[in-house]
Amino acid sequence: MLLTIEGMQVRYGKQTALKITSPVTFEKGERIGVIGSNGAGKSTLVKALLGLVPYEGRVATRLKPEQMAVHMQFNEYVSTMPVRCIMETILNTKIKEDKELQDLISFFDFEQCLLKKYNVLSGGQKQKFTIIMVMMQKAELTFYDEVTSGLDFETRQKLTEKMVGWYRDKEGTLLVVSHYYDELEQLADKILVLDQGSVVACGKKEELFQTYCGRVIFIMDNHEENRNLMNGFKLLKAPEHLLAIAAGDKEEEEKIVSILIENDVNFKRSNSDIEIMFMNAKERFYKKAGRKE
Amino acid sequence: MKNKCSFKMVLYELRNINGNFMTHFFGIVFPNIMCLLLSKTVGSQVPDNVRQEVLTSITLSMSLVMPMAIMLLGYGALYSREVERGIPLRMRLFGYSEKSEITAKLIAHLIFLTIAFIIFSLVQIIAMDIPKPAFSSLICLILSLYLLGIIFLVIAHSFAQIFKKFSITFGVSMFLYFMIMMITGMMGIETEQLPQTLQKIAGMFPMTYVSNDFASFWQGGNYNFMPYIQSLLFLGAIAGILLLYSMHKNRRVI
Repeated sequence: MLLTIEGMQVRYGKQTALKITSPVTFEKGERIGVIGSNGAGKSTLVKALLGLVPYEGRVATRLKPEQMAVHMQFNEYVSTMPVRCIMETILNTKIKEDKELQDLISFFDFEQCLLKKYNVLSGGQKQKFTIIMVMMQKAELTFYDEVTSGLDFETRQKLTEKMVGWYRDKEGTLLVVSHYYDELEQLADKILVLDQGSVVACGKKEELFQTYCGRVIFIMDNHEENRNLMNGFKLLKAPEHLLAIAAGDKEEEEKIVSILIENDVNFKRSNSDIEIMFMNAKERFYKKAGRKE
Repeated sequence: MKNKCSFKMVLYELRNINGNFMTHFFGIVFPNIMCLLLSKTVGSQVPDNVRQEVLTSITLSMSLVMPMAIMLLGYGALYSREVERGIPLRMRLFGYSEKSEITAKLIAHLIFLTIAFIIFSLVQIIAMDIPKPAFSSLICLILSLYLLGIIFLVIAHSFAQIFKKFSITFGVSMFLYFMIMMITGMMGIETEQLPQTLQKIAGMFPMTYVSNDFASFWQGGNYNFMPYIQSLLFLGAIAGILLLYSMHKNRRVI
């Protein structure tokens, strides 16, 4: 066990921003994706774990603050000198003498930015700058709080690919907060679903998918023709423009596939879709609690 | 947590100061220009027999502008902008303790103060007709400038950490700066000319003694340092309390 959160409650004034009633445990080497709508308590959780906001309850861990690294949503540095000087100071090294840092800089194609000041870097370059330094910390637990927010699709994809590549053979534990499901599909193996400050679900990605969606799902456009075709199959909660159908076993899956092919319907088959899992986990959570979403 | 202040951090802070226009202007340009202007205007209006003493008094008063301007205004502006943008927090998250950060900032600013003092001294030697000081008096002045510099840096640091906003920190620092300059005799108003209450407040600031009394033993002689030391201790204690409060307010609880 790397860290266990027990009975954590964070309040901002009278408002409860986060309330974790059942223990949540992170194991060594896990890649945890934290997902939830705005105001779900994702960043509050990160801040509480880092000791930046006061909380009630307990975080049981042997980790010291210096064994945790974090890429916050907003990371700022001085603009009075080139980022090279900031990097060498923070990491207490010299780039020309540090092979590992050189590799990381070239891995992120950051060489051309080293002589620039922080305020003239683009959004993606700013993110890369902090990511390089966070990665160089080689912490036992690393937090990435909305690391790709505000970036265009292409930069986001590239950055995520770089992160996946870098952490592939690394042992540290990652906790990645994101609004982008595709990012979490690539980076996380465990998902913590938060909503309005409560833990909706927490577990291995595949286990959660099976619990809330079943074995496999089919996603297609949501219109009357498709709805009629799928009548009789288990309908899952999905974004309004989509229709998500669950197939409980192989036989049912083959039946759905043949209907869809026969009727020339474009579809996507998935056994790990985080977005559909997230929506159905939320629905079940509120139904069980007798509360409205 | 990196508790020790490294040479790299001091160098980083020196680069940071170098990029801050306010520190250069208020710490180097302003005291020299003020000193030259005051000496030309006031110096020409006094009789020859007291002229050197008056010029010495102006030099001493203007030398006090340096620690106040560099630390209280320059550092206050620089650091409060950093606090507003969350830079110290970012450093904390990279494992740098506040202690190591403030130590590096203090050393860098004391180096800058030394440079400012050297430039100021050169200007005095070249352009001002002031008598050569006794060695002990010069040491007294240099020590006072460093001590005041440390105290004002701690005050500015605490203000920035307490108020969190550049506008408030700079506003409060500016008010304090001009208030101190006015009541301690640095702007030409004699402390004795002030109302009783303001005279008592002025007595709490070490600058009053440097500005009004240090000229009397500039070329040697005796001076009762007790009220001056008491005022230094008082201001130091205020700075210490402010720093402790700001650190407590911003502590991390893990």
